[in-house]
Amino acid sequence: MSSIAVKELYKTYAGAEEPTLKGLTFSFRKGSIAGLLGPNGAGKTTTISILCGLVKASSGEVLINGLSQDAHHREAIKKQIGVVPQRIALYPQLSAVENLTYFGNLYGFRGKALKTRIMELLEAFGLEKSADKEIHKFSGGMKRRANIIAAILHSPSLLVLDEPTAGVDVQSRTMILQFLREYNSKGNSILYTSHLLEEAQSLCSDVAIVDQGRLIVQGNPAQLIDELPDCENLEDVFLHYTGHALRD
Amino acid sequence: MRDKTGLTLLFLMPVVLITVMALIQDAPFKDYQEVKFDILTVDNDHGRLGRHIREGLASGGQFRIIDTLDGKPLTAEQARKLVNEGTYKISIIIPAGATGNIVSNANRIVNDISHRMGMTVSLPVKKNADSLDVTIYFDPAAKKAFKGAVHQAIDNFLTQVETDMLLGRIRQELRRKDSSVTAANDTLPIRLQAVGLKEEATGSGKQIDVISNSVQHNVPAWSIFAMFFIVIPIAGNMIREREDGSLLRMKLIPGSYLEILLGKMLFFVGICVVQFYCMMLVGIYIMPLLDLPKLVMGRDAGATFLVAAAIGLAATSYGILIGTLFKTPNQALNFGAISIVILSAIGGIWIPLEIMPQKMQVIGHLSPLSWGLDAINDIYLRNGNIAYVWKNVVLLIITGLVMLAIAGYVEKRRMN
Repeated sequence: MSSIAVKELYKTYAGAEEPTLKGLTFSFRKGSIAGLLGPNGAGKTTTISILCGLVKASSGEVLINGLSQDAHHREAIKKQIGVVPQRIALYPQLSAVENLTYFGNLYGFRGKALKTRIMELLEAFGLEKSADKEIHKFSGGMKRRANIIAAILHSPSLLVLDEPTAGVDVQSRTMILQFLREYNSKGNSILYTSHLLEEAQSLCSDVAIVDQGRLIVQGNPAQLIDELPDCENLEDVFLHYTGHALRD
Repeated sequence: MRDKTGLTLLFLMPVVLITVMALIQDAPFKDYQEVKFDILTVDNDHGRLGRHIREGLASGGQFRIIDTLDGKPLTAEQARKLVNEGTYKISIIIPAGATGNIVSNANRIVNDISHRMGMTVSLPVKKNADSLDVTIYFDPAAKKAFKGAVHQAIDNFLTQVETDMLLGRIRQELRRKDSSVTAANDTLPIRLQAVGLKEEATGSGKQIDVISNSVQHNVPAWSIFAMFFIVIPIAGNMIREREDGSLLRMKLIPGSYLEILLGKMLFFVGICVVQFYCMMLVGIYIMPLLDLPKLVMGRDAGATFLVAAAIGLAATSYGILIGTLFKTPNQALNFGAISIVILSAIGGIWIPLEIMPQKMQVIGHLSPLSWGLDAINDIYLRNGNIAYVWKNVVLLIITGLVMLAIAGYVEKRRMN
């Protein structure tokens, strides 16, 4: 069964001359760590926004754990999906605990159970000592880690991450990637976007390379590399399919 | 709630605002009975007219008579110059021979009446009656209404003196004809004012007699203005949430985002209502300490609460609309603040709508702030209840809901 299945997805924003997504089609199996890769403007963020129900597709079909992403199933999908946006989606003037308690309450968690869950996660991400520190005083890596915690408070079976390691130091990145592997080992699915192709190659069991709103190629990273004799790594594969022209 | 300084300012600044405004506007709101003016008086008559005008002006407590400068009698030329310079607001010059003229006129009338009645009465009359005027100088900057009021008061004194003298002469002649009547036992009832003038309250007997004074206008008016300033923190907060991504997170959480928004709205409406009552308490307890009148809140506490909540809803919805429409805090804060100042100016917050030009009154009644103020005035000044205010309350609620619907529509369009 697929964790995510996207079929003939089109999206044209109001006032835009060209569609952002032009019949995008891909699927990832349940329990995989999938990478959605592509150059700037390929349509990755739009795709993720549609998967999460933040943006409506112009046409096409989206299935999350077998549920159609429509008004009827939106709430059920929200319970199964955890999203780590590219931006730090936390209140900067609140502490980590205050942020997580607030969002935990909105998820419907209360009292001791929520407190215990927050402390466990803070500890798992090495933030227990900074629990009461305001988010704006955190380093870039700490903010990224806190951002992930807020997305997994409700233990989603599908975790979607938009460039979770952008701009963080090696230590934080290692910790985040280690966490993602552990989270996946518990049977949860992960969809992740990144421009760091070496990282994607080591982490993902399946990748989809998209460009100009269309799927270019999809498969296991090792398999994709093997298919192209001149390519030694995923970055070579990526450049092979998307070209060397600059994207602005 | 985290921003304690911001929250404190949200309550403290309106208190300072209403206090300052009530103090500044106290004088303009007082009518001429409450304000004392120095009046330069040059009495060249030294007769009964001069005495009567001076006594009449002084007895009302409204004017202080000044007839000497540096121990010397004031002259007409000095008075004119001082008023022209604005040192004094008014001056009255009573011409020499004014009382003589009035006496002569009264004698002429009595002689004429007596003659027609076949009596032989010949009181002394001036052969060539001069035309004399009491002259009034006003400060060139004096308001028209003020000039009119003083003019009318002096005119009344003149009429009264002339009438008194005429009646005195008639009484004197009648007494001369009937020798048995003396000044002590004269019971002739000469009363000119057969129909008097009496002011009564327009409402029921229970109506509170509240004068529209500075506190009665400024405390509710500027409270409504301050309540609408909740737009600034709401819009700022919404844009910040959009910029820092926390809004995105809220939209990703199961449950309707509308429910979260309604929860936030309830909080801000609550803040507005608490703000309103804090300022009413200032009107009741702090204003009298500053020699200002005490605020009177009418008799229907329920209607007052309803109006406060409706104003809070309209203000909060306006904040949400601005927070939705504008992309940057600068745009939202500039538009929000200036639009509230404009809506308050045309809505009768600064000065009552009643004294604005007709066209401005029509425009003013389109401002939600004027609906709030009208409703509060209905309760406070007219002792009204819900029956008096429901129309304005419904207008405020509908406007709030329309603004929320527009914000929802814009947000939905953004998704697509």
